[in-house]
Amino acid sequence: MSDDAFTFAPWNPEAAEETGYSHYSYWRSTFRTFIKNRLSLTLLIIMGVLVLFSLLYPVLASVDPNKVALDSSLWNRRPDFAHIFGTDGLGRDIWARTWYGTRTSILLAFTIAFFDVGIGVVAGALWGYVRKSDQIMTEIYNVITNIPSTVYLILLSYIMKPGFWTIVIAMSSRGWITIARFIRNKVISLRESEYNVASRCLGTPLNRILGKNIIPFLVSIIIMQTALTIPYSIGAEVFLGFIGLGLPLDTVSLGNMVNQGRSNFMLYPFQLTWPTVILAVITVSFYIVGNKFADASDPKNHL
Amino acid sequence: MAAEDKREILLEVKNLTVDFKLGRRKFSAVDDVSFHIYKGETFSLVGESGSGKTTVSRAIMGIHQASQGDILYKGESVSGNMTGSQERKFRQSVQMIFQDPMASLNERAKVDYIVSEGLYNFKLFKGEKERKAKVERTLRKVGLLPDFASRFPHEFSGGQRQRIGIARALIMEPEFLVADEPISALDVSIRAQILNLLNKLKKEEDLTYLFIAHDLSVVRLISDRIAVIYKGKIVELAESEELFRRPLHPYTKGLLSAIPLPDPESEKNKNLLIYDPSIHDYDKVPPSWCEAYPGHWVLADERELDLWRRR
Repeated sequence: MSDDAFTFAPWNPEAAEETGYSHYSYWRSTFRTFIKNRLSLTLLIIMGVLVLFSLLYPVLASVDPNKVALDSSLWNRRPDFAHIFGTDGLGRDIWARTWYGTRTSILLAFTIAFFDVGIGVVAGALWGYVRKSDQIMTEIYNVITNIPSTVYLILLSYIMKPGFWTIVIAMSSRGWITIARFIRNKVISLRESEYNVASRCLGTPLNRILGKNIIPFLVSIIIMQTALTIPYSIGAEVFLGFIGLGLPLDTVSLGNMVNQGRSNFMLYPFQLTWPTVILAVITVSFYIVGNKFADASDPKNHL
Repeated sequence: MAAEDKREILLEVKNLTVDFKLGRRKFSAVDDVSFHIYKGETFSLVGESGSGKTTVSRAIMGIHQASQGDILYKGESVSGNMTGSQERKFRQSVQMIFQDPMASLNERAKVDYIVSEGLYNFKLFKGEKERKAKVERTLRKVGLLPDFASRFPHEFSGGQRQRIGIARALIMEPEFLVADEPISALDVSIRAQILNLLNKLKKEEDLTYLFIAHDLSVVRLISDRIAVIYKGKIVELAESEELFRRPLHPYTKGLLSAIPLPDPESEKNKNLLIYDPSIHDYDKVPPSWCEAYPGHWVLADERELDLWRRR
């Protein structure tokens, strides 16, 4: 081979700057990392089907969950073809009641999580970033967390009329502070980073520093907190229903069903079992999916 | 001297003290520091780590509050509370370049946002088109390609990241740049590239620099005047060549003797001077800031000044 076969390429400073382009997108990488895990994908599908089914059940089926049977032969029936999960002491169809109840519980949990996390993230970001707020916020935290939650919930349920929004207010008014505290600890570790100092030097206002420099780094924590709040709220509703302070008895909810199933448990265990199984599946899958998604949304775990 | 006095003073630091509280104890990171920077010069602040050089720069930027003293920019105080329009003017014309390019860029934002952050803050553009054009122009100025705007910081090398940081400051069209050890975190092979870029921009954009470094050999290359800071106090200040030719303060001498020599033979026989603060006798008479030679200031008492001058 002779040297003629080669010519010198002209020096091009622009080409020297060219680097590999990874075409990185945060949410796409998050999603790809998430679906790599078989377990989380399976649970996500189960969870999605359950949530979707319970939300759509009133449209799909025409069974009235509150329809009582006057005929005593239809009371406390064991599961059969007509009533997949059997009937309760008033002849109401447990299958229908389970889905209506799940629907109520999920809507309740989503609402509580929305307020908890929404308020918690904003308050936590301010708490962590604005030094002056630390003392007062810490005091508020101490006050709220030192009141036993059960006492507080019972008290609020007595003061206000039992109902959907009562539970939302009761849960959210104290739930946000633990999330805020969590967020605050993370924000403090981000606060003095050089890129935040750089933003301050550029005169970036507080709301944009929080929105662009702080909160994007908290996505995985926010997701995890949401994922934990949802099963916790479902559980709390069941607990409140169980002690008789939850939603009114004419509202179908998992809490009310568990409460009614408990009284008949020795004779008709299926009345408690089926709602509880659905409850457990939803709770556990929310918990695991949330954790896995939080892991996946941490860029350190991206491929 | 007469010619020197006519030069416009851009930034003046007067008796600046910055205290940090450590529990109940108070610690002065910067202690009664005064200097001024003329328009168009490169003023360097040199000192070992922990000497307070970064604190000075952050006090100028308003990140740390001055406990005492005053910072004047173009004759106006910028250390206390500024009005909205003052702050706006100050932020636009005074910008900072950071030490660590890995830490100083927001990892979750695209280069486009990072570079135009200042534009958003002060609405320095009319439409999306103008902003894009400004970003593109600034990226080109620092030797980057315009289509880097759509990428994230982690896709770049250290030198490129540092240039993104420079672009972020440059897009504000500043007059005064504070460069806080802009090259010490970089690979040796690209330090010269960044220094050359800074020098080129200085000429093109008519900039004034406050350059903070611990490496005297780099500082000599680019600065007009050098101040040596030790434990929060400036011990010597002189024109660059003057300081290298005639260092007075023993700490400066120590620093100069620590510069590595490229020749192994002379490096081996080099006489390394180690500064020992106990040689001073400041118990009765505290040292004062005296002009040993025209434009060459040193922190000394009268006996020392006499002694150092005679040598």
